[in-house]
Amino acid sequence: MMPTLSVWILRLSLVYLFITAISGSVLLIHKSIPLHPAAWSLLPIHFEMAIWGWLVQFVMGTAYWMFPRYLTGPKRGNEIFAVISVVLLNTGILLLISAPFISPDNAIKAISRLVIVVSVALFSASLWNRVLSYRRVPH
Amino acid sequence: MPTVTRWFIKAGLIYFLMGVILAFTAELPFINSGALLLPVYWHMLVMGWLTQIIIGVSIWMFPRKWRDKKKRESVLTWLTFWLLNSGLILRFFTEPFLPFFNDTLTVQLIIITSAILQIAAICTYIAEIWPRVHSKKRKRGVSA
Repeated sequence: MMPTLSVWILRLSLVYLFITAISGSVLLIHKSIPLHPAAWSLLPIHFEMAIWGWLVQFVMGTAYWMFPRYLTGPKRGNEIFAVISVVLLNTGILLLISAPFISPDNAIKAISRLVIVVSVALFSASLWNRVLSYRRVPH
Repeated sequence: MPTVTRWFIKAGLIYFLMGVILAFTAELPFINSGALLLPVYWHMLVMGWLTQIIIGVSIWMFPRKWRDKKKRESVLTWLTFWLLNSGLILRFFTEPFLPFFNDTLTVQLIIITSAILQIAAICTYIAEIWPRVHSKKRKRGVSA
């Protein structure tokens, strides 16, 4: 059954998918019927949310749920690493999309990318040992 | 694998192939399309291929709301398929020509229809999959 953390990750990714669809539709209509001069500022929000918020996060949530579980101890390893990685990923995404509105230079954008790097490293580390075949594990 | 999932995956594979062909075509020097094809092949790959594969596989693999023996496919899943694909097709056949026919009312209506269809598809997918994303604890709580 789906762990609570995966439920959170997957539902967050669905929220991002919805925002991506809304922002994408506004941009598409704006290309045909100009809506507002500031409409193009939605473009980075649109694609960063599509890639990191929707696609990457959905895959993370499903992988955390479906990958082989440990036979002894906590079934999905230390949950703290996965929780921190999800919190960091979403902090990174929110920083990334708000960066142009907070500061005109690239400092915040660079920090948000770094936060995402740390998040992905933590998540990969927490998942690494679950990439295995049960045939090679002594029962 | 449910029928609707097969449709999603096969449609996704078609968009995948079309996306890479278009990305290749856009690079040919004699095509000189500028940035006209860029949003088209990006959306073919991200929405047509990746998102559609994710939707199809999640409909197949995620826990079902009702554990009936026939494993009936929800109307929402088929609605998602047709809304998404009709929205994408309208978009792909119109978007590259926007700079040439932008003032035409028909083109503007097609673009608005395409946008609404895509949003509607995402809404029907979320309506289908959201209740299926639940933990064991919650399910037990509900049934108790």
